[in-house]
Amino acid sequence: MSKTNRTSFRLPSPRGSFRVWQRNITIFRKYWKTIMFPNLFEPLLYLAALGLGLGAFIQEGGIDGRSYVQYIAPGLLASNAMFAASFESTFNTFVKLKIDRIYDAIITTPVNAEDVVAGEYLWAGTRAALYGTGFLAVLTILGIAFDEPLIVSFWALLIPPMLLVIGIMFSVMGTLFTSLIERIDLYAYYFTLVVTPLFLFSGIFFPVEDFPAPVPQVAWFTPLYHAVNVCRELATGPSPAVLVDVAWILIFTAALALLPIRFMRRRLIS
Amino acid sequence: MSLKKREIAPASSPEATLTAHGLRKSYGDFRAVKGVDFEVYRGECFGFLGPNGAGKTTTMKMIYGAAVPTAGELVVAGLDVARHERAVKRRIGVVPQENNLDDDLKVKENLLVYGRYFDLPRKLVLQRTNELLDFVQLTEKAESKVEQLSGGMKRRLLIARALINDPDIVVLDEPTTGLDPQARHLVWDRLRELTRENKTLILTTHYMEEAARLCDRLVIMEGGDIIARGSPRAMIEEHVSPQVLEFRAGHEVLEALEALLDGRADAVEHTGEAVLAYTRDADSLMAEVREAGIEADNTVYRQAGLEDVFLRLTGRSLIE
Repeated sequence: MSKTNRTSFRLPSPRGSFRVWQRNITIFRKYWKTIMFPNLFEPLLYLAALGLGLGAFIQEGGIDGRSYVQYIAPGLLASNAMFAASFESTFNTFVKLKIDRIYDAIITTPVNAEDVVAGEYLWAGTRAALYGTGFLAVLTILGIAFDEPLIVSFWALLIPPMLLVIGIMFSVMGTLFTSLIERIDLYAYYFTLVVTPLFLFSGIFFPVEDFPAPVPQVAWFTPLYHAVNVCRELATGPSPAVLVDVAWILIFTAALALLPIRFMRRRLIS
Repeated sequence: MSLKKREIAPASSPEATLTAHGLRKSYGDFRAVKGVDFEVYRGECFGFLGPNGAGKTTTMKMIYGAAVPTAGELVVAGLDVARHERAVKRRIGVVPQENNLDDDLKVKENLLVYGRYFDLPRKLVLQRTNELLDFVQLTEKAESKVEQLSGGMKRRLLIARALINDPDIVVLDEPTTGLDPQARHLVWDRLRELTRENKTLILTTHYMEEAARLCDRLVIMEGGDIIARGSPRAMIEEHVSPQVLEFRAGHEVLEALEALLDGRADAVEHTGEAVLAYTRDADSLMAEVREAGIEADNTVYRQAGLEDVFLRLTGRSLIE
């Protein structure tokens, strides 16, 4: 009887997942003004330092006919979502799991362990979309103000929902790492070996396609590369090729999503 | 919530609301619970008494779904926990051993958010929240941060939280461990109030006083097994004589006492710092000790308790 209970996989219930998401948004609504500021400010730093500072040294003509600032701005939307969802699914989730023991309390209610994980995915995605929407608005206004349009297509209205999906993808990855570690210090590995390389080599700051093989091929198999493509295409007017990137993100997320659910259930229920 | 007395008259044969048969839990080679049977009746307070590591918490976790039984059957509120995880959790309230209140939420919000996990209507949750804060005497702290509460207040808030879904069964894992005496008495008072309202309470403790005060029936656990069961009074009658003389003295005096008492008392236990003599007639036993000329000034006379039952059965005391 119990053997099947232990190993048989359970799908999250939408209702239970929603309750977990709702708990997080309740807390977020109390503190959002203080929480959101650094997240909006950080990409602006990159934009200023790299876009304007480094961009000044980049030959006239820029990249793909765009100035350097125009080139990197949409990519920073994608990395911003990655960072938002990654912090949520690593440090924040770890604290709720091991330190505050919030999940232990939740799973004694009709909300199950699998609902907790799915709710956290959804929340990390929401957070990424919220930050990204704020950043998108700032980019649009800056572009108009400085007469150097950063967001030029109405397709950009699809960026927030895509950031939700991108956020969920990085939440699944972060939660997978969280479900495997015992100590909070180990996140240094995740950020140094996964998040930072993705940030640097996913085509935000330079086109990876121009690198010799196998760099472009390797990049194709990493998640932020596709997220950057999607954001850049939507910001400037997409080509049909963007559908491949969207499909990649959806398939990768779906394929990986159940694994952390399983591992987390094992951690919460002995 | 019906904090008023529910009109359920105790039936002539009590109705079991929780049944465990051959319930077992192993972690690898370690057998935490070794196949136990027990029944909890509706409206009673049922206790698990035992030292740390006896398997009490593991048993509680199996009831509220945080541990999956390795073998055996566990039926809670008429539902098999293996097949009706969610439905069982809907019917019970849980007070965990360690505080896991939501520190990001205020006192009142803790109850409001918890109520949502049960999909209860907003209005009902709000009404119960106010009633329950009143019940655990935390109304004045409603808008406080959780971290500003004392240990006793946190425990009372955990009790209020466990009642938000008006559960049939409330599971309490060591509800007063770590509390000072005043805080402990306040918790006991609230728990007794719950039994008056006909809630079924299942609690674990390693305080025999707590078990004796609160529990209608209890089991004593040791090393994953149930080693005794019954009402506190019946267990004391069954396992030990009603009166106890506790002699405290130097090692040699205790040796002499043990030799003297052996055969004269119903039972003698030597616990290291004291010799305990169980008897039906403490006065004449004491007279015999004096006659033998043994210096026994530091002697306490008391009624036998559950601690003595545990000591008789295991040769060890409950709290090391």
